[in-house]
Amino acid sequence: MKKNNSLLLSTPYIIWMLLFTLIPLGVVAFYAFTDPATGEFTLENMNALSAYLPVLWESIYYALISALICLLLGYPVAYYIAHRTPAVQKFLHMLVMLPMCMSFLLRTLAWVGLLQDTGLINRFLDWIGIGALPLIRTPGAVILGMVYNYLPYMILPLYSTIVKIDGRLIEAAEDLGCNGVQTFGRVVLPLSTPGIFTGITMVFVPAVSTFYISQKLGGTDTVLIGDVIERLFKQGQNQNLGAALSLVLMALVFVCTDIMNRFGGSSDEEGGVIV
Amino acid sequence: MSKELIRLQDLVMEFDGERILDGINLYIKDHEFLTLLGPSGCGKTTTLRIIGGFLSATSGSVLFDGKSIGDVPPYKRQVNTVFQRYALFPHLDVFDNIAFGLKVAKLPKAEITERVQEMLAIVGLRGYENRRIDSLSGGQQQRVAIARALVNRPKVLLLDEPLAALDLRLRKDMQNELKRIQQTLGITFVYVTHDQEEALSMSDTVVVMDKGRIQQIGKPEDIYNEPKNAFVADFIGESNILDGIMLADYKVKFFGRTFKCLDAGFEANEPVDVVIRPEDIDFVPVEEGHLTGTVTSVTFKGLNYDIIVDFKGFKWLIQTTDFQPVGATVGIRLNPEDIHIMKKSEYSGMFGDYSSYSAEYDELVEDAGDEEE
Amino acid sequence: MKRTTRILTILMFVFLYIPMAVLIVASFNTGKDLTKFEGFTLGQYAALFRDPDLLRLLGNSLLIAILSTAFSVVFGTVAAVGVHNLKPKLRKAALSLTNIPMTNPDIVTGVSLSLLFIFVGGQLLRQRESLTFWTLLIAHITFSLPYVILNVMPKLHQMDNSLTDAAMDLGCTPIQSFFKVTLPEIMPGIAAGGIMAFTMSLDDFVISYFVTGMDFVTLPVEIYTYTKKPIHPKIYAMFTLLFLLIFVLMVTMNLLQLRSDKKKKETRVKAVKPAVRVLRRVCAVVLILCIVGGCCFLLLQPKGDTITLNVYNWGMNIADGTDGTLDIIAAFEEKYPNIRVQYATYESNEVMYSKLKNGGITVDVIIPSDYMIARMIDEDMLLELNFDNIPNFRHIDEEFRNNDFDPENKYSVPYTWGTVGILYNTKYVDQADVTGWELLWNEKYADKILMIDNSRDAFGIAQYLLGYDVNTTDKAELQACADKLAEQKPVLQQYVMDQIYSIMQNEEAWIAPYYAGDSMLMMEENEDLAFYLPVDQGFNLFIDAMCIPTCCREKEAAELFIDFLCDPEISGANMDYICYASPISEAREYMEEYLAESEVIYPSSEILAAGTNYQFLPGETSRYVENLFMGVRGSVSEGSDNFGLILTLVIVAVVVVPPVLRVGKKLRKRAKKKSA
Repeated sequence: MKKNNSLLLSTPYIIWMLLFTLIPLGVVAFYAFTDPATGEFTLENMNALSAYLPVLWESIYYALISALICLLLGYPVAYYIAHRTPAVQKFLHMLVMLPMCMSFLLRTLAWVGLLQDTGLINRFLDWIGIGALPLIRTPGAVILGMVYNYLPYMILPLYSTIVKIDGRLIEAAEDLGCNGVQTFGRVVLPLSTPGIFTGITMVFVPAVSTFYISQKLGGTDTVLIGDVIERLFKQGQNQNLGAALSLVLMALVFVCTDIMNRFGGSSDEEGGVIV
Repeated sequence: MSKELIRLQDLVMEFDGERILDGINLYIKDHEFLTLLGPSGCGKTTTLRIIGGFLSATSGSVLFDGKSIGDVPPYKRQVNTVFQRYALFPHLDVFDNIAFGLKVAKLPKAEITERVQEMLAIVGLRGYENRRIDSLSGGQQQRVAIARALVNRPKVLLLDEPLAALDLRLRKDMQNELKRIQQTLGITFVYVTHDQEEALSMSDTVVVMDKGRIQQIGKPEDIYNEPKNAFVADFIGESNILDGIMLADYKVKFFGRTFKCLDAGFEANEPVDVVIRPEDIDFVPVEEGHLTGTVTSVTFKGLNYDIIVDFKGFKWLIQTTDFQPVGATVGIRLNPEDIHIMKKSEYSGMFGDYSSYSAEYDELVEDAGDEEE
Repeated sequence: MKRTTRILTILMFVFLYIPMAVLIVASFNTGKDLTKFEGFTLGQYAALFRDPDLLRLLGNSLLIAILSTAFSVVFGTVAAVGVHNLKPKLRKAALSLTNIPMTNPDIVTGVSLSLLFIFVGGQLLRQRESLTFWTLLIAHITFSLPYVILNVMPKLHQMDNSLTDAAMDLGCTPIQSFFKVTLPEIMPGIAAGGIMAFTMSLDDFVISYFVTGMDFVTLPVEIYTYTKKPIHPKIYAMFTLLFLLIFVLMVTMNLLQLRSDKKKKETRVKAVKPAVRVLRRVCAVVLILCIVGGCCFLLLQPKGDTITLNVYNWGMNIADGTDGTLDIIAAFEEKYPNIRVQYATYESNEVMYSKLKNGGITVDVIIPSDYMIARMIDEDMLLELNFDNIPNFRHIDEEFRNNDFDPENKYSVPYTWGTVGILYNTKYVDQADVTGWELLWNEKYADKILMIDNSRDAFGIAQYLLGYDVNTTDKAELQACADKLAEQKPVLQQYVMDQIYSIMQNEEAWIAPYYAGDSMLMMEENEDLAFYLPVDQGFNLFIDAMCIPTCCREKEAAELFIDFLCDPEISGANMDYICYASPISEAREYMEEYLAESEVIYPSSEILAAGTNYQFLPGETSRYVENLFMGVRGSVSEGSDNFGLILTLVIVAVVVVPPVLRVGKKLRKRAKKKSA
């Protein structure tokens, strides 16, 4: 009786997800291997992709750098939050979540206002006599945009693994003669690796596929794979090439998450739950 | 004295090809306190869940008042259950937990309040109506669980190891409490436990189960005094079990000697298991004893000493208030009423040897701590 | 160590909140520029509430968020219960399905869903309009569902299974026991999942951007197109209000939770009850909101006698009532009360073309440029007009009829005409350098030069500079142009279309090629700007004309709209806002004098003689040009032949091998178990 019920309850959902997640990916593959004009099978789109390899490498490079910076900046923050009293933890947790709820377009635009040559930072630098610096339209600006937008995605999983580390383990390590640094390196850090890998995945995936950040903060030479896909779909008149590129992006992300899962040793059951 | 209320016929339960219940036949009388006793995985909880309606048997039938209730869902059965870890609803307070069944049945508000108050009085929790469940102690939660089940005035109350989570002293108190409630209300209790002491002290009838089969049904005294096989003998209290040969009625031979006993009805020269309870053995001066042995270990138990005595390489457990130092040579006498004879069974040779005394004792302790799935 | 982490944490929070602070401060700014605070005002908030379009967009976003959240909460909770009780293997499969939208990049999800809808709706079901409100809703539900499932599943996992048994034991049917016991137990998970789904849906841009059609646009998608134009501070005001709302919501939720935690420690339960009641009430309110929202949506849908006319136009290319101009669409709707205009904008011919070519949408009126009209005629994308319905066509000047791109004048009615020249800032640019198109390559102004971001205009500029024919199909010439454009890249600040407004006005850049009308608009805002036409080298003379695409549904209403815009008085009023030249000379009388007399808008005929039109290029050539331009923009190298095959094999390997390996491992384990 119970089994029949559970099938009855879950089948509509499974059908829905098949229809709207798995089958669309099949459609992407279908478009990727068909000719835009004739609709026949072709490898032409895939062949053309070799031209986009530099863009792909560049995207991966930017996304990786951002993920690492997020890790370096996010870890101390997560560590700090995890060691407050529960009430403070909750409040700080909320403060980290809050920006994620606000329009990321506008927040990125605010960075344009801050960084541009006539922007707030440069005007301030001018005023104190340093003079304007080239900030916007540099690779650094793109990475800054990525770090800014995706930092919470790093802090939250880190926080939730660090906060679960049993305080007695740290005491045990100290009891066994570890100093602060050793305790951190031998106990806290190894125990928080699942959070580190989840965080890296959660920053890397959106960063590698973004197009808005690079459009707004990047210069003429920071073109990312997301930009190219967006252009191909929205103005390039070549959906099939766009589909092929999406397919590559998907495979790339698939590989990354697979690797991260393997290293992170996270249970298959509950994957990357944020909260 | 009273009529039969529940009958289980040839119950078989299989799960993933594994046989959990293997032909259970049992009847439960009205107003009876019946206990299903057995180690973890013996199928006692499964039997209870089938009576409760949470599982349906692979084959066989459950009769309630003579009618088959195999297809009746739990919410239509006239039985209520006290669950292993109480299963109290954490989002409701004490009053609402107890009133739950009555509210579902849509009784008038006044009656609900009255019956809940009445139940609170019975379980001694007056004034706890608005307490949160997680603010109660284990014993209090236990009482709420019992009240919640009883307030519906079921014909039968099923209790699934209700005292397992309590500490020793509280468990003793609750045993008395439960017995009192059962006698006051006159409801049939079907009680599941792995604690033989609990079973013996509370029940009218004890059903000993192992490996999905009923090993013995009987009054507590009969179960203890006349175990049917080595398993029951070992599971109910401590037993020294020896191989013997029934020479004739009232005559059994073991350790190369012939003893008088009270049992009859065996074939001549039939191999049998001989049970001697440790507390039935008394030390006598060596020259007066039937057997002579050497003390190998002594443990102080408070009420008595557990003394292991080596008789020609076979170690017995003897419980006595009579201290003997390790290495002492002792003699024992066996009276006919101390010797119980059992037919050979699949369990023969598995129990009753105290050669590895300490290890076995640990195992027993571990077992008791184990809760059944 | 402790102090460093504390300081770092504080710095990180400053980093996270500075941009928000900038936006909030900007919402009180009298000026339009984000970076210059000119004075305090609350006017932006008043403006926000007086802007029906913005409120409608906000309403759209809320509607989609509420409906998709409500649906995914109900559906997801039911599904989670089902999946929870599935056999482990099936459960694992269902969970990996759940993880697909969580791990896939948004852009891939968006692309895949839009392709699915276009493929199924357009090619299988032959629906003309396959991207609608409903497909957007489906997309939002699809990415919201996992949040609910992944939050509810752990709660189910934690729940004592015997609780439901106990409920049934006490007389509950399975359904009753779900509502009375399971639901209260998993409520925190449902609430958390619902809140996450709601915020994700409200803020989603990427997926909506790809899936959205013409008729239903959400706020973030519209903001994306806004941010290319000078963004109006009332958007900041809206951001501030939303920020405050979410902030207050989160803080109160936090406080409520804290209080109930404290109460938990006390023994009496009564005190917690209000919190539960509040939660219940909030749920009820949300539910009612959903229902009301849904009803509103159904009511707002055009009734039988109202026609919705979809107009797809260039950005800032119709007078909208701001700065004292005439609100043309409002005037049209007033004249024809049974027609409701749904207005959307694009920023280049190519964007518009892609949108129509990709399919899945309904558009009734478009206003492309000459060469694009020719191309669309060639590809059978336009409908012939019924000129009986456009009597005002008689006002169109003779010289603008029967143009090259539409020789028999069957498909188009001219809307505006103009030139492409160079807009530059006289404050920074030495007049001596303004000699021709080469100004755009001048290293002296490196990083202060913008380039137009569409292939045709960009190649046109290179062709004028190199002295080639702008309508050439010669691949060698085109390649030379591409090289020339690539050469320009180091001195460029960026490629832009509508974003040019804010960049030029606040002097972030100094030199840019652009359309005369838009340049005129910018010159009104910043007096230092000037417009230059390289007469010697040649420049583009373009005509934008109104057409009706084949995906039109309301042809007659579309023709009424076209006719309305050809009324000289309306056309004149329109030109006052968009600052282009009207093909109707009578309209000049109705224009502001300074515009009607402006050399920028109406150059003298000698100058005009130097201009050339873009003409139709065969599809193959335009694709070639587009690819070359993609290459210029994106540091793209040559394609190679075997690459596709290898790549395909790699992808197949990547997607197929790990699951196969996993299955293999399992089989081996099982074999080991059996042998042991």
